[in-house]
Amino acid sequence: MRVPPEMFRFTTGERAELYVAILHAFGEANERLETALGLDDVRARLRSVGWLDPLDDKDLTEALGSLRDWRLLDVTQNHAENYRTADEYERRNLQYSLTKRGEAALAGVVHAMGVLASTGALQTAVLDAIADRLGELVAQLGDPGVPDRRVFGTLVELEGHLEALRGNTKQFNGELQRLLRAEGADQETFHEVKSATVAYLQEFTTNLEQRAHAIANRVELVEDRGVALLHHRALVGAELPPTSGGDPAVAWLELRRARWEGLRAWFLPTDGGTPRVQQLFVVARRAIIALLQVLDRITESRRRSTSAAGDFRELARWFAVAPTEEDLHLLWSTAFGLGSARHAHLAHPDPELVVSSARWVDAPPVEVSALLRSAGRTERFSRTGRVRDVAAVKAARAESARAERAALKAAWDRLDTGGGMRLSQFGRLDHEVLERLLDLLGRALAVVPDRHGVHRATTGDGRVEVLLRPPEAHREQAVLRTPRGVFTGPDYDIEIRTPGGRAARRPWRAAEGAATG
Amino acid sequence: MSNLANQLVIAEREEVARAIRLLLATPLIGAGATPEAFDLVRRRREPVGKWFDYYCGWSLVVEPRLGYARLAKVRVATDPTRPARRHRTGRAPFDRRRYTLLCVVAAELLGVPVTTVGLLADRVVRASAADPVLPPFDTSSRAERMAFVDALRLLESLGAVDVVDGATESFVDSTDAKVLYRVDATLLMRLLAAPVGASQVAVTPGRSHTDEVPLRFTELLTRLSRERRYGDADEPVSEVQRNLWLRHSVFRKLVDDPVVHRDDLTPAERAYLESPTGGQLLRRAADQAGLLVEERAEGVMLIDPDGVATDSRFPDDSGNAKVAALLLLDVITSAPGPVAVEQLRAEADALLGRFPKWAKGYRGEDGARRLVVDALDVLRAFGLVRLDSGVVRARPAAARYAVTRTSADDVEDES
Repeated sequence: MRVPPEMFRFTTGERAELYVAILHAFGEANERLETALGLDDVRARLRSVGWLDPLDDKDLTEALGSLRDWRLLDVTQNHAENYRTADEYERRNLQYSLTKRGEAALAGVVHAMGVLASTGALQTAVLDAIADRLGELVAQLGDPGVPDRRVFGTLVELEGHLEALRGNTKQFNGELQRLLRAEGADQETFHEVKSATVAYLQEFTTNLEQRAHAIANRVELVEDRGVALLHHRALVGAELPPTSGGDPAVAWLELRRARWEGLRAWFLPTDGGTPRVQQLFVVARRAIIALLQVLDRITESRRRSTSAAGDFRELARWFAVAPTEEDLHLLWSTAFGLGSARHAHLAHPDPELVVSSARWVDAPPVEVSALLRSAGRTERFSRTGRVRDVAAVKAARAESARAERAALKAAWDRLDTGGGMRLSQFGRLDHEVLERLLDLLGRALAVVPDRHGVHRATTGDGRVEVLLRPPEAHREQAVLRTPRGVFTGPDYDIEIRTPGGRAARRPWRAAEGAATG
Repeated sequence: MSNLANQLVIAEREEVARAIRLLLATPLIGAGATPEAFDLVRRRREPVGKWFDYYCGWSLVVEPRLGYARLAKVRVATDPTRPARRHRTGRAPFDRRRYTLLCVVAAELLGVPVTTVGLLADRVVRASAADPVLPPFDTSSRAERMAFVDALRLLESLGAVDVVDGATESFVDSTDAKVLYRVDATLLMRLLAAPVGASQVAVTPGRSHTDEVPLRFTELLTRLSRERRYGDADEPVSEVQRNLWLRHSVFRKLVDDPVVHRDDLTPAERAYLESPTGGQLLRRAADQAGLLVEERAEGVMLIDPDGVATDSRFPDDSGNAKVAALLLLDVITSAPGPVAVEQLRAEADALLGRFPKWAKGYRGEDGARRLVVDALDVLRAFGLVRLDSGVVRARPAAARYAVTRTSADDVEDES
């Protein structure tokens, strides 16, 4: 891009403001279709664009001259009017008008100011508008009855929205990066801007993907109908004005194609790459995270570090003037909470033993080492505190568990019937073995009998199985004797199988009974 | 029969209980100084945090990466016997100068991530000079430098500053000492446990401090500890807030103090503690923390049989004063009424005669008096006696250390 020399000379130097105001005045005039202004017209226009400083003819003429030298203004002599006096002729003879370059320069300045003043914005509305226009295009292309002019209109709108999206994104991204970079400044407003931005971004990214997807779909639909057709109809509808130098349609079509490419790059890249809208999403998300982190830091530092330093200073003052030594320690404990708890370590072996309504003086005292009282020192063992010897406890537990298991095994071995038998056949048993037997009977009787009236149960670990068949009628009570007493009960047919033994035999009989002992 | 799952549950219970008591003893546990304790708290932080939150309303922050666990113990302190202590032999309590310097140093450290001892001292000099209330800090005085070093070493021990190079102690000898520190600002801020910052409590700045702070001191402490969650003290609060406050205030005393006599409690607190709910919670809390409950007509105490959750033990032989305290307590409890300090002095004299090896500090003219003072400090610290105008009264809980009737005469042979 090569900018003609001197094009922006008017924006510098001490008279820059005047130059800009003059150009601005010409711009305003142009909008009202006045293309040429005389000296008095310029003066009047200057006031309307806000130039209120006194300005004599000489200065104004000089300024206009300069602008002319930079080829921003053209001067023509107007001979068409009737001048009554020489003075009038001098004043109105010269007519100034903007050159093309002057127009561009003014537009450039206006645009630059606009960029400086604007804040970029991402609008989901723009995305929606793009999707809508694309939808319309699809419909219009499918219907030859729609005037080409409408196609042209819709296409221009579409391009306008795409342009807006690009422009906004560009600006917004720029601002976002500046926001992420800049720290410090005025923390208060800064904080607000950032949290607002986060909310804004979150709003924007919601449904961004669905919108982008909808647009991509419609782009495909339009392409199905033919982009060439679209552009052709739009060209017809555009009714391009004739210009000097070649057919404008070629350049026009070229521009449309480029824009279409741009649309695709945003939503459906031809090379299958990542759509730009996706990048936008990524940028937004990253920005949200970054901003939240910055915000965290700001709030943290604002809430704490400044105030924490203030708190420490204030505490220092309090310490400096606190009334007594004891107050110092109280302040320390209250403000810092770093002190230890304090508890007695001597307790009764069983604290529950004394009722809670007893007075301390009536309750037995705890056992204080007698050696401490007599010799001023405690026994080694109590000095180190009552550390529970976990290893010993564990070993004892393991030992008792082993013994229990062994006893159980022995009992079951004794009980293993090696096949079916009568309960009464056990005759004499050790007491412990009888307990096991009762346990098994209990388990079996708790189970609902099957079709043949057989109760079948296993022990919890599944190692012992017991089968119990109710006794036939008239059978005598089973009587089992142990060293501690006599058990009588119905004489069931019983079969007990342990892992070691095995069996299968036949039924017996008995009746209900109870253990005595 | 025990199996693996059971063992794990038991292990967890024991670990949780231990972690709770470790935090009670050391509300700021650093991974650097006590890696095992920190690791335990880190592993069991969920149940432990819940325990503190439910019973005491204290929050536990564990920073696994930064390597510290901080229990924010909020309460208006009533016990002056738990001061900050110097990191020197004797562990003397902080004095006014040291406390003041500690706070100024902390405030100055907040602004700098890295500093040296000299730069820090300069900042403290300037900060003190700029403040009308604070006494100036004079680095040319050895005593001042010593106090400064003590304050710094406390911050060091808490992990708020990290010595990268050199030793803080060297500053005592020379202001040219080269010591480089790295500051942990977050931890530094976490040192303040009170929910309200001192700067938020309105004291008119400037000269009026000197008049105002001493007058309003108790009120200032209360205001530092005011927590919004319980509602404003002046306004009627909801039933829920009231209950929450009762639970938390009762348990804060129970878990932190050696004994809670019923007359230390407000009527509402007493009613709460005596209610079935209160009693049930007390038992459950103690059980989870591995503490034993001793409940008597006159009060309640939680006992830590392992002596983990305590800064000091009694009865114990770790100092002559403690032994004397036990023996003097026998005198105090067996007396029919209050005992004059004078009377105890005579007893102390007898003790010094009986134990000729006791510290030199208690020898000489003033020795017996000092022994009595120290012994009474021990007893007061454990809530066993009350001292007013030269008269000592045993508090009810003192009776638990009375001479055992049966074992009173089985004097063992000593060497």
